[in-house]
Amino acid sequence: MEDDLPTEYDVVVVGTGMTESIVAAAASRIGKKVLHLDSNEYYGGLWATFNFDGLQKWIEDLKTAKNNTRNINVDLEEGEKFLKASDQYSTVENIGETWYISNDADLPDVSWKDTQTESSGDSAAAESAEKTDQDKADKKENVKQWSIDRIKKEYRRFNIDLAPKLLFARGELVELLISSNIARYAEFRAVSRVATYMDGKLTQVPCSRADVFANKTVSVVEKRMLMQLLTSCMEQGADSPEFDGFRDKTFLEYLNTKNLTPIVQHYVVQAIAMATDKTSCRDGVNRTKHFLNSLGRYGNTPFLWPMYGSGELPQCFCRLCAVFGGVYCLKRQLDGVVVNEDKCKAIITGKQRLALEHLVVGQGHLPPEIVASEGENQISRGIFVTDRSIMQGEKESLTLLYYPPEEQGQEPVTLIELGPSTNACPQGLFMVHMTCKRTKNAKEDLAYVVNKFLRAEPLYSTNAVRNLSDSHTQTVSPDKRHLQIDQQEKEESPLEYPLPQVLWSLYLNLPASDIKLSNSAPSNIHLCSGPDLELDFDFAVNQAKSIFESMYPDEDFLPRAPDPEEIVLEGDETPGPKFEGGEPAEGEEKQDVEKAEKEE
Amino acid sequence: MDQEDVLTILKILIIGESNVGKSSILLRFTEDEFCENMQSTVGMDYKTKQITIDGNTVKLAIWDTAGQERFRTLTPSYYRDGQGAILMYDVTDRNTFVKLETWLNELNTYCNRTDIVKMVVGNKIDLPNREVSTEEGLQFARRHQTLYIESSAKTADGVKCCFEELVQKIIQTPGLWDTHSTRLYDNGTMTASRYRSGKRGMQLAANYQSLPVESSSNCYCSLL
Repeated sequence: MEDDLPTEYDVVVVGTGMTESIVAAAASRIGKKVLHLDSNEYYGGLWATFNFDGLQKWIEDLKTAKNNTRNINVDLEEGEKFLKASDQYSTVENIGETWYISNDADLPDVSWKDTQTESSGDSAAAESAEKTDQDKADKKENVKQWSIDRIKKEYRRFNIDLAPKLLFARGELVELLISSNIARYAEFRAVSRVATYMDGKLTQVPCSRADVFANKTVSVVEKRMLMQLLTSCMEQGADSPEFDGFRDKTFLEYLNTKNLTPIVQHYVVQAIAMATDKTSCRDGVNRTKHFLNSLGRYGNTPFLWPMYGSGELPQCFCRLCAVFGGVYCLKRQLDGVVVNEDKCKAIITGKQRLALEHLVVGQGHLPPEIVASEGENQISRGIFVTDRSIMQGEKESLTLLYYPPEEQGQEPVTLIELGPSTNACPQGLFMVHMTCKRTKNAKEDLAYVVNKFLRAEPLYSTNAVRNLSDSHTQTVSPDKRHLQIDQQEKEESPLEYPLPQVLWSLYLNLPASDIKLSNSAPSNIHLCSGPDLELDFDFAVNQAKSIFESMYPDEDFLPRAPDPEEIVLEGDETPGPKFEGGEPAEGEEKQDVEKAEKEE
Repeated sequence: MDQEDVLTILKILIIGESNVGKSSILLRFTEDEFCENMQSTVGMDYKTKQITIDGNTVKLAIWDTAGQERFRTLTPSYYRDGQGAILMYDVTDRNTFVKLETWLNELNTYCNRTDIVKMVVGNKIDLPNREVSTEEGLQFARRHQTLYIESSAKTADGVKCCFEELVQKIIQTPGLWDTHSTRLYDNGTMTASRYRSGKRGMQLAANYQSLPVESSSNCYCSLL
């Protein structure tokens, strides 16, 4: 079914990824006529968030590769050339999905409900005198075991990100969301702990000054050392003479001259700067500064997470674009572009030719003729549904862990763990996202971190069916069943907090965002990258800003949108309804006239 | 405006085909205005209005589609946290009535509250050339267990009633708004934040629920 779209635009945006959506919103906000297309039936492209069902469909669609051989007849004028779009630059590879649990039908026929309540509930109660009746009641409600069927049945309770990203509390995106008033379309949760792996354990990194001083493992001398170092990064910045001797050296080399103790150095490098031994001094200082800058604004860490997943954020910008008149059409493919010398005149989509001033296009829709280099970097991703947090805590936490490589050839891995209160997964489960630069394939690249923090072995035998349902209580009392099945871990003491059991996992490789247009590409075609390797969205925001500036150098980038209370319809002045009908009012019904004072 | 008196804030969605009068109903209800030659929705985001039902004052945030329904491209995030939904068709255009089924599907797919209160509204009853009878509308509503009303944004017939009945039903479904309002009130300053500036410009979800903890030995706290 082809919808007939209006045929002339100032800006046509193809793809609803983060950068594309910001540019679309910005252009629409200043009154440009915007058309925003996506070939998918969902928003976000490779930035999307899916529920469990949606993700399965996405995987299926990738397997049945699109047959893009349909012939397109284009009526060209003198001097025009037609360039066919290709989706070869957004190829997802090495998709591997694994279940570690059974279907309902395959579950043991024993009355596991009873045994479970008895063995876990009562034995735990015996060990813990503090256990209240309330706890027991909760447990009984939750005795149902996780099975493949149950997860599929609760598909709507999952929000699974292709590109999970955090926001620095003072990062580009937070500032933009606030200044543009787009923040009202989304809700956030503060990351509650930044973790680091030290001396064989995960520990929480002290993030604030108060945290540092309350920290008992660091001596007073070390605290001073740490504060002094952080202050010089924060206040002086990378250009300060303090760092003069280290312009071409690594951050680690700089830190080594400061006589820091191992603990202090560990905190700074692995948790605050999230650096490796290759990170330059300049980058290290800047990253430290960025981290410190964002502290103390929202939660007790510098990071925010968007409720319902990162894929919500492009949609917020799309909403603003639509509110200001942008036209939206999904399931609509870009067939190609019409170029005349150094200018893109129009796009062909469906049977329509749509004229435009500027074409903003995501990397999945480019004609090969205008691509200079395909880019070399790729992203390795692992997504895991687990039964408990990687790190014990009193409350449900949203955890960030940066894990540096253990040996040559490995890449640092960023791990984000989401609990049910982010709407990433149902109660009782956790969602773990791992991301690193690709060297081999996703599964191999992430294996060293998966093995360290998760138990990714199938649960099959009847005896080995572990009590998954009460996992949210994060018990530390000995879990006998766990010990039974984890014989290979017997070197661990019985009091050790058990590794989270993986229920389901997905590995995939995505293209990173370093594709380049050739010099001969028309100057009014603007390329938007896909998700990058960084932890935050700053790359996309900055790219969107520079695209907007190149299109409209004299215009404001996403000025504050008025609140509904500030909008007054110009209709006020019109003396009652007209009955001629048909003829649209001239001057476009400026409905967004701002009024200084709010209604209330 | 004193927030103390407001019981809760409810998010109401309006969906349905283009040109059935979604924005007109919204304008009629919130501003008591009607615009015959309304352009397809530009600049219309959501509007707020306070109403009192059975002595309870609630604030409604009524979201318009911003024209994104035109090519059936509403964002899933539009549906998030909605407590009431108005499914609207034009009684003089059968096609808009037929399409309600699709809209209901979409609502059920994306709305994360299973108990969202739905109301089917047949609009434009002031016009003479009716194509969908009241009986048909009622039947649809019964089949899908929704509320039903007919309205005219032009004459204001049924408009107020539509919102009042919807809100009444929502209030009678405590699970639907209890958690939402507590969540907002929990956090002190976060009261009513969804529709005004939240904490330093960003809306933060309330604190994490405590998980039952059976033992605190071995706690990481000792390491810090």
